Amino acid sequence: MVSKDSCRNEIRAAIRQLSDRCLYSAAKWAGEQLVGIEQDPSNFTPANTRFQRGSSSIRRRFSTNESISTPLPSIGFSQAATPLPEEDEAIDGDFYLLAKSYFDCREYRRASHVLRDQVSKKSVFLRYYALYLAGEKRKEEEMIELEGPLGKSDAINRELVSLERDLSALRRTGAIDSFGLYLYGVVLKEKGNESLARASLVESVNSYPWNWSAWSELQSLCTSIEILNSLNLNNHWMKEFFLGNAYQELRMHTESLAKYEYLQGIFSFSNYIQAQTAKAQYSLREFDQVEIMFEELLRNDPYRVEDMDLYSNVLYAKEACAALSYLAHKVFLTDKYRPESCCIIGNYYSLKGQHEKAVMYFRRALKLNKKYLSAWTLMGHEYVEMKNTPAAIDAYRRAVDINPCDYRAWYGLGQAYEMMGMPFYALHYFRKSIFFLPNDSRLWIAMAKCYQTEQLYMLEEAIKCYKRAVNCTDTEGIALNQLAKLHQKLGRNEEAAFYFEKDLERMDAEGLEGPNMFEALVFLATHFKTHKKFEEAEVYCTRLLDYSGPEKEKAKSLLRGIRMAQTGFPSMDLEHFPI
Amino acid sequence: MAGLTRTAGAFAVTPHKISVCILLQIYAPSSQMSLPFPFSSVAQHNRLGLYLLSLTKSCDDIFEPKLEELINQLREVGEEMDAWLTDHLTNRFSALASPDDLLNFFNDMRGILGSLDSGVVQDDQIILDPNSNLGMFVRRCILAFNLLSFEGVCHLFSSIEDYCKEAHSSSAQFDASNNNLESLTQYDQMDMENYAMDKATEEIEFQKSASGIVPFHLHTPESLFKATEGIPYGIHTFLLRENLEFLRVSGLLHTRKETSRTSKKDTEATPVARASSSTLEDTLVDESLFLRTNTQIQGFLMEQADAIETHGSSSSFSSSSIESFLEQLQNLAPELHRVHFLRYLNKLHSDDYFAALDNLLRYFDYSAGTEGFDLVPPSTGCSMYGRYEIALLCLGMMHFRFGHPNLALEVLTEAVRVSQQLSNDTCLAYTLAAMSNLLSEMGIASTTCVLGSSYSPVTSTASSLSVQQRVYILLKESLRRADSLKLRRLVASNHLAMAKFELMHVQRPLLSFGPKASTRHKTCPVSVCKEIRLGAHLISDFSSESSTMTIDGSLSSAWLKDLQKPWGPPVISQDSGSRKSSTFFQFCDHLVSIPGSVAQLIGASYLLRATSWELFGSAPMARMNTLVYATLFGDSSSSSDAELAYLKLIQHLALYKGYKDAFAALKIAEEKFLTVSKSKILLLKLQILHERALHCGNLQLAQRICNELGGLASTAMGVDMELKVEASLREARTLLAAKQYSQAANVAHSLFCTCHKFNLQIEKASVLLLLAEIHKKSGNAVLGLPYALASISFCQSFNLDLLKASATLTLAELWLGLGSNHAKRALDLLHGAFPMILGHGGLELRARAYIFEANCYLSDPSFSVSTDSDTVLDSLRQASDELQALEYHELAAEASYLMAMVYDKLGQLDEREEAASLFKMHIIALENPQGVEQNMA
Repeated sequence: MVSKDSCRNEIRAAIRQLSDRCLYSAAKWAGEQLVGIEQDPSNFTPANTRFQRGSSSIRRRFSTNESISTPLPSIGFSQAATPLPEEDEAIDGDFYLLAKSYFDCREYRRASHVLRDQVSKKSVFLRYYALYLAGEKRKEEEMIELEGPLGKSDAINRELVSLERDLSALRRTGAIDSFGLYLYGVVLKEKGNESLARASLVESVNSYPWNWSAWSELQSLCTSIEILNSLNLNNHWMKEFFLGNAYQELRMHTESLAKYEYLQGIFSFSNYIQAQTAKAQYSLREFDQVEIMFEELLRNDPYRVEDMDLYSNVLYAKEACAALSYLAHKVFLTDKYRPESCCIIGNYYSLKGQHEKAVMYFRRALKLNKKYLSAWTLMGHEYVEMKNTPAAIDAYRRAVDINPCDYRAWYGLGQAYEMMGMPFYALHYFRKSIFFLPNDSRLWIAMAKCYQTEQLYMLEEAIKCYKRAVNCTDTEGIALNQLAKLHQKLGRNEEAAFYFEKDLERMDAEGLEGPNMFEALVFLATHFKTHKKFEEAEVYCTRLLDYSGPEKEKAKSLLRGIRMAQTGFPSMDLEHFPI
Repeated sequence: MAGLTRTAGAFAVTPHKISVCILLQIYAPSSQMSLPFPFSSVAQHNRLGLYLLSLTKSCDDIFEPKLEELINQLREVGEEMDAWLTDHLTNRFSALASPDDLLNFFNDMRGILGSLDSGVVQDDQIILDPNSNLGMFVRRCILAFNLLSFEGVCHLFSSIEDYCKEAHSSSAQFDASNNNLESLTQYDQMDMENYAMDKATEEIEFQKSASGIVPFHLHTPESLFKATEGIPYGIHTFLLRENLEFLRVSGLLHTRKETSRTSKKDTEATPVARASSSTLEDTLVDESLFLRTNTQIQGFLMEQADAIETHGSSSSFSSSSIESFLEQLQNLAPELHRVHFLRYLNKLHSDDYFAALDNLLRYFDYSAGTEGFDLVPPSTGCSMYGRYEIALLCLGMMHFRFGHPNLALEVLTEAVRVSQQLSNDTCLAYTLAAMSNLLSEMGIASTTCVLGSSYSPVTSTASSLSVQQRVYILLKESLRRADSLKLRRLVASNHLAMAKFELMHVQRPLLSFGPKASTRHKTCPVSVCKEIRLGAHLISDFSSESSTMTIDGSLSSAWLKDLQKPWGPPVISQDSGSRKSSTFFQFCDHLVSIPGSVAQLIGASYLLRATSWELFGSAPMARMNTLVYATLFGDSSSSSDAELAYLKLIQHLALYKGYKDAFAALKIAEEKFLTVSKSKILLLKLQILHERALHCGNLQLAQRICNELGGLASTAMGVDMELKVEASLREARTLLAAKQYSQAANVAHSLFCTCHKFNLQIEKASVLLLLAEIHKKSGNAVLGLPYALASISFCQSFNLDLLKASATLTLAELWLGLGSNHAKRALDLLHGAFPMILGHGGLELRARAYIFEANCYLSDPSFSVSTDSDTVLDSLRQASDELQALEYHELAAEASYLMAMVYDKLGQLDEREEAASLFKMHIIALENPQGVEQNMA
């Protein structure tokens, strides 16, 4: 177990080093984790700690395993503590100071020019980093200048070539530090040389683990679990953060949750971990829990916009209009030109049934970030609502092309084609979506419905799908009912009775009533009657008698028939039992 | 002119266009001189003018020549003043030091134009008429430049720098390459700008020369089914082409629509242009690619699609190179969805099912089927719903091609339903055609109920109909719709399909009631002929409307290609008058060129003609039609069609000229087609080898080949039916040759059942003949007779004359087998069939007939050898001559034996000995087939 103090000291130094190199987002991340560590109570007044989250009663309810106080089994934390690198110059050079201020004013090219003859490692890194950012800025501008009717132009960062040349030369001579390696990895990644980029980033994080930006770049290069496992990473607590994130992206939510739970032992108040946990829970569809977590998160960090789109999804699913509008208003005031904000507002309008406005805000979100996956999918949903199927298909397809594992978009595509009366065509898309999420009963039911359409009428296949849905614990109970009905339609009464009975059991357990129940009872009663199992038939009939309406009459007549069969015609019984 | 239809917005200034402008300035300087400075003669001046004209024409091409290439061309055009021209060009470029110079340059350009209303032009003054082609070009350049924002000018400026730098660097590399191989390859890479086109032209030229060299001749009876294959494939590809053709047309409509909306952004050029030239590996495509307007790109994509289809996946035209190119194109222009369709085509031709499916779906997801598939004018609307029925149509055809008939049928049924819902009649017509094609092609057993329930016009009557009748109804329906919608190509291809149907199926009233029902149980060659003719009418239709079909995008590259031909060395020899007129005609030629799809369709009609003659039994006609196809349509056809033509010719060779020639020809065809996906060459090779092994008596080899043949077929039910039938037919024949009669009969019987189940009528005739043959060989002539008679009646109803002649021969042999008292009857039968056999039969059939004739005479008790020996001997001599080429030892031995007997009777001992030794030789060869096999290897 790493001591909290050593963590604290490491992070404090790292923040200073990162901001010296103008790696601001990494510094920001590190800062968040720094305050996420539980404060030493002896150093602070109780008033100070009161605001920390541990005091929240809601939190207690959900953190079952009181992991804060109990020492955790050290899973691979027997790490060699990575020594903090010494700064190579005690006093910063004048040119460096000038360049940094230029950099802070976003005059990148100027900053890089000032540092042209500097040799200290910090200055060299800043020079290349500024150059890289200058190229990125120019690239963005060119993209707009050169954009044609057929989409983007091939604008590229023109500094990449010289950067790659210089950095690889530095690397060969060994004059490169871990920050340089990070930049080299980024450059290689943009040039499409993924394996080299990975190697460079691994080297960087192994020598300097506190640079979260490097970890994130590395994570984006780990597209499969095989790649992830093949990385040769030193043990460090930062690695646990990385793994948690990587598992999540690879849809291994329980593994990811385990990592975060472990990390919470040290960083008990980290907003980041809280949000990540909420994300994983969201994927596991634990909406109630996620809602509470987000509420808490917002209480502690009211101006947070990151990840709030997820919260809005939860609110949407729970149809909490007021809460959603409150959230939308808040993020709107905080920063209205964040893709997340637009997405939240879009969600709100969608919930209110104003689909045109919702589309407008999703569009804005996409304008801000073209690769914003969930906005594409949500926009697809809106278009479906607006009955503009081609536009919906287009939106879904873009989502799928950004991330082919997005089962929602595949599902949406299938739905859209089914809506247009092309069930056979739609099947392919449903199959795709099921491939990525084989344990979701909703998908199986959708596919079964597709097979059931009058155009296809492939009932055997539909039955197979419903069976899979039942195996995936279908919460809405559609599958059992449909299975029973299909079997009934195909004249397989034994199977039908089996599934009606199961469905009845389910409804009893959940205390549900309704037409499905009547249907099941009537069928079972008549079925058992025709099979001469009068006792069972009577049980179902008497249950039916509890309800009013035509079913009651039906039950009465059935009962009469049963009595007749049992008593009225003893001669028939004699036939059955020849002496 | 097509140029007029576009606005200036669709026209971007590029460094190459600036080069052309500079040259124009030289051509028509604003000074008043009859002959400007560097030119020494009017002819020289005119030649530059003509060159400039073609350059401006070709400006719509997607590739622009690099400076270096331009200089090379100038060298050929400019003769002695080329150095001056080049220098001037490069100097002008190097004089452009700042964006301001560009501005001045275009201001100067204005000076070379005459004023629009100037009626008074002095005789000796050279002035560019603003309304002439060159004038228009200059005006468009100026306008496009004036429309540029300052950023645009900066980008143009930096691309000019690259343009000049590149020329320097590549020429430098070229110098270095003389002593360095590595840099030579690099240079090659750099120079691959026109790689696709060059390859394509090379390929076409190769095809031409190949088909010119090979001395091909005629055909074969037993692989009847083989032959008809060209058509279905043709239709599939044709449908694809049709779609693409519409891609092209709608591309134009699209851009027009955009311009009319006056939205500047849409019509503005797509200056994707050059990436940085710094890395060599990137240069392959980026560097050379100037993507500019939609039309250009679409024209280019059309060309690529044609190329994919023409070359299939043959090695010289690798699909991966296209793929990588398309990938890059997609990166450059992600909103250009047609690229997905092209990728689909490419994958389809390289047999990559998953990638093809993926790309097809992606294309339709993005474009909603509206981009490029405006089969009906866009004004009719229904764009709200997209055109996903076309997606279904394409998906169905894809499944068909990959051999999933049931999936294909499901999808096509859905396509029918959706197009009915959206009342897209055009798509419906195509779908019905595709469906009938599928039904006729795939062996779907008549018992399985296939057609979906929703298509009312068909299903109301169809439920009780056989597959054939459904095909007929579908075809009729499709033809009717296509006719009313004026879809010429679909009409034509439907006529061809109809011809094929008429050829293969007996005419029978659809609903048969009462005794009159069976009045006409025959195929009707006249109607086949009529349908084929109707199909070929297309060409006259198209020559009248071609001007609207061809669009500059794809045409413009032809301008430059031609340019290189007439300006070759012979031009230097100053016979300019005639030369120029010929160039002119070549230019004109392109304007009335027939679209590739039409040429392909007409080619298909020739193939069908050849096939029908093959079936009807006229070898010369079949051969002639195939040759017409191979020579006239070889370069425009898809690779598998061309392959089919070659196959037919080789089969003909094997039958009529013996194996040696056939193998020689096969070798040539193999080089050409073996890499084509689903190549039939291997099949043909096995067939010929099998035939030869049977003749030589090498039964083990024959059996092995049979097994290999069977292995080629897919295991799925109802797929590759011809191949399966072929394999078991050959197996039965092998067993027959091995004298295992009962097994042979078993195989033949089950084969007959299969044919019956899958409605392969024509194959039935040959299977029946084989059964008769088996019984004849087993000495059971009585049993054989009914089979032979049944076969003859089948042949009659399908008008299979040659097969009928050969069945008659078998019948006669059976009669003779019943005893010598039937010799007279047998002889009469034979003589009835003789004209057909001798006129059209292959070597084997003829030899058999001759030997049998001799046999008849000899067994006829009333015939005396001594008086009439010549009759017998002539036949036998003929027979042994023909068998020589065929290496058919068994029959040859029989002929020699008979000859020896006759000579013996005549008492001519020398001749007898000779014949006897021949007999012995053949017998030894027959018993010792291994030696022959070694020869074969």
